[in-house]
Amino acid sequence: MRKDEMFDTPKKKVALDVTNLDNFVYDMDHCIKCKGCYWVEHTYMPGVEFSVRCPSNLWNDFDSYGAFGKMRIGLAVNEGKLKWTDKLLEVIYADPLCGACDVGCKRNLDLEIGLSLEALRIKAVKDGAGPMPAHKKIAKNIAAKHNQFGSPHENRKKWITKDVQVAEKADVVYFVGCSGSYVNPEIARATARVLNASGRKFMLLPDEWCCGNTLYSVGMIDEARELAKRNIEAVRATGAKTLVTSCAEGYRMWKVDYPKLLNIATSDLGFNVVHLIEVADEAMKKGDLKLTKPVDVRFTYHDSCGVSRLCDPWTPWSGERGWMGTVSPALKRRRGTTGLYAQSRNILNAIPGAKFVEMPRKRENAFCCGAGRGTKEAFPDLASFSAKHRLDEVKSVSAEVLVSACPWCKSNFSQAVKENGDNVKVMDIAEIISAAVEL
Amino acid sequence: MSIQKQAYNALEAAVGAKYISDDPAICEGYRSGPGGYESGLGYERVMTTIPGAVVMPKTTEEVQKIVKICNRYKVPYVPYSTGFYGPRSHCHVENELLIDLKRLNSFEIDEKHFYVVVGSGVIYSPIQQEAMNKGAYVIIGGGGAQASAIANLIGDGWSPLSHRIGLPHRRILGTELVLPDGELVKMGSLADGSDPFWGDGPGPDLRGLLRGFTGLRGCLGIVTKMAIKTLPFQPEPLVPTGIAPNTALALPEKRVKWVNFQMPSKAAQVKAMFEIGKAEIAGAVTKVPLFWRAIAKAECKEEFWEIWGKETEETIKNFFIVRVLLIGYTSEEQMQYDENVLNDIMTELGGIARPTKPSDESWIKNADSAGMWLMCGSYVSVDYIIESLSQATQHGESYADLKRKYTPPLMPDNGDPGWFQSFELGHQGYSEFLVYWDQDEDTTGVDHFYLETAKMNIKERFYTSLLGPHQPLYLTGPMYGPNYHEWLLKVKDEFDPLWICHPPVPLAHDEFIERAEWMKPLKDWESPKKLPMPKW
Repeated sequence: MRKDEMFDTPKKKVALDVTNLDNFVYDMDHCIKCKGCYWVEHTYMPGVEFSVRCPSNLWNDFDSYGAFGKMRIGLAVNEGKLKWTDKLLEVIYADPLCGACDVGCKRNLDLEIGLSLEALRIKAVKDGAGPMPAHKKIAKNIAAKHNQFGSPHENRKKWITKDVQVAEKADVVYFVGCSGSYVNPEIARATARVLNASGRKFMLLPDEWCCGNTLYSVGMIDEARELAKRNIEAVRATGAKTLVTSCAEGYRMWKVDYPKLLNIATSDLGFNVVHLIEVADEAMKKGDLKLTKPVDVRFTYHDSCGVSRLCDPWTPWSGERGWMGTVSPALKRRRGTTGLYAQSRNILNAIPGAKFVEMPRKRENAFCCGAGRGTKEAFPDLASFSAKHRLDEVKSVSAEVLVSACPWCKSNFSQAVKENGDNVKVMDIAEIISAAVEL
Repeated sequence: MSIQKQAYNALEAAVGAKYISDDPAICEGYRSGPGGYESGLGYERVMTTIPGAVVMPKTTEEVQKIVKICNRYKVPYVPYSTGFYGPRSHCHVENELLIDLKRLNSFEIDEKHFYVVVGSGVIYSPIQQEAMNKGAYVIIGGGGAQASAIANLIGDGWSPLSHRIGLPHRRILGTELVLPDGELVKMGSLADGSDPFWGDGPGPDLRGLLRGFTGLRGCLGIVTKMAIKTLPFQPEPLVPTGIAPNTALALPEKRVKWVNFQMPSKAAQVKAMFEIGKAEIAGAVTKVPLFWRAIAKAECKEEFWEIWGKETEETIKNFFIVRVLLIGYTSEEQMQYDENVLNDIMTELGGIARPTKPSDESWIKNADSAGMWLMCGSYVSVDYIIESLSQATQHGESYADLKRKYTPPLMPDNGDPGWFQSFELGHQGYSEFLVYWDQDEDTTGVDHFYLETAKMNIKERFYTSLLGPHQPLYLTGPMYGPNYHEWLLKVKDEFDPLWICHPPVPLAHDEFIERAEWMKPLKDWESPKKLPMPKW
């Protein structure tokens, strides 16, 4: 290219650092309202039904609830043109940060929508406006009881039953998480059984604390960072080489947000972070895990956000932006391509006697259950709406069972099923694998 | 900013409290820019503002009520379907009501008679999928799979598929239009209460109120429902494959197939398009800008510039591709026949077949228009014409010449003449010229270029889309009329005497020139001292 045809654009420093919203001004002001964040990717568009992938903007139709509206709002907040109000906080927080918008945008534009939304919440907290009252309660619970439900800390290992073998010392540590420990012990037990059946010896942390997913997600970054440091040190102290989760939210937190909080790469954690899906898939391929017991159901699978579009590993990046918005050094964008899409389906297609059917919105286009990242606590109506909308899709493919890979999804869907009086059973992937294993 | 309380209360009664808001956080979400189609330019900065309130009707009746309330309380309003079409579809005056039409999302398909009936909030890609489920297809407009089908059809409404499917006004069937004062007009066969199978009305064809070449930008009312013609397609499924961003439709190659040919010259390229049309084969015949191929190859913006940086004026000058979509509408044998004919044409003209992926990433179900912003951050299809095939190519070249003067801020593109293709089996040639820039730079040159294109078209006698409300009316009206502008203003005055519907369109670009100091040196045409419209 001829130099006289190019501006000599001054370079600006920029970093993928969510503690400063300024880093995402370029992303916010280059949103073009194509609504790639809102619609199911057009190649996969199933028709007029189930055509949307954004829970927030389907729950509330005003543009402000879509990422394209929030990008404009983010700029106005950053420039001090929009004051924090209850409505503004609702717009910012009535959102499960499910990442559908982020992968949608990165189909064509590569704007950092997800990070912009996280940075906006962090700014809300810094400005003294956020988070929502329900989130503050969770923060108190975590500070006092080390779990987000405020349950007695001493009950954390109550999920363990006699048929589950937990090692004193192993290369693998199973991080159960608050939900598995207190609300969905059946998922923790099923996970342990699958690990046992796979011959994967595992231990637990001597004193497991909350992962801090909600704290980070609502912008309480200082509190989340302290938990990250504490938990990482706790795992390193065990000498474990691998950390397994059965919670998609926890998986994302460990694999992506802890490194982000500490400005390190996922590979610098000092141990691998994997979800049970990966363990089971690998064990099946090696012949260590055999699914032989027939499970006579027609079921479908919901890609939980944390094991799909949100789980690309984290690498810190800082550099400069110059001519035509190009950046240097090279930036490998996180586009949600390394989600556990294939691994989960390898497993599900191997369940004997069962019929696995896909929903119209799948993988990176999946419609979030609406529970995660502080949404269910602060906006239960949105969480319920999203789950019921997704259940309509489950019913559209005549599935008897809905399988997901996250206790938050399971709880939220189960509650919606109960409220609807639906004839759909909700299971975790650990449970359906466990059901197919001869013990 | 907000609208009068009495008007707000009346609107709230019409739609319910859940579907109206004047909260600043809600209104801010409806800001036009700074990014987007034509955004980041002077027009967006000078002529647009956030709404005073936003209302979301569900039905045509609610739209009528809203419009009548606006007339009663003199609240200016703008209809808005998806907001994708940049500043033009956003509020232009203070305390304006934005009528967000996304909840008008009704959809019906008539499989037997080949049409769909859609509301203003229905976009293209779901329509295409529903049509394909029933053995039919529509156009995915160049504006993108995400464009409201109604908004697109009353504005643009074409794509490479127009080679076979035809021009938009032929596909607009029965239509419901809420006039600026709230009166309902039913067009075509709907006028006598019949099914919406036919577009022409029993009297004068009122579709002219919706669009001419490229539409009136929402200043003559609100289309709430439209029947759109579909056409028969082949029955094999087109299967989505891949994980974003690398997704595509896998094509059943015996029934649907893209084929690329490298032609030896511009003349051979045009001749090939003409002959393909004459033989009445193919579903699409097009030539796209070379930089689109670079976009398709690149994994990211930085890689695009690496790839594009290797191109020269010479490579652009010698890029004579013809891209043909073959469709076996009726059978594999028909497809084979088409391919044989195509190969005969290409052999005669020296076309060499190039390897082509057995998939479609755009046009059939997904127009990747959003990808146009990847390279520079800002983009607009500055102009398009429908002429003869040979004339269409000259249009692009004249634009490329003018563009050099404004590069930078425009993207260096080595004189690429843009996109051209066959419409209606080669009876028309279509040319579209696209420009790209970075909105963070000084964009004065882009504003100037935009205006200069109108003057160039007048000089070169190109009949273009940038007439009427798309450029200063007093610049283009006298040159193309000679009284085109006067008639347009008479129509506006007759149907919207208060100028309550999206003011100051159709004089918005005239107003822009008056307000933007940096545009004044370019004003060399006559206009009234005071523009003939009410001030809002």
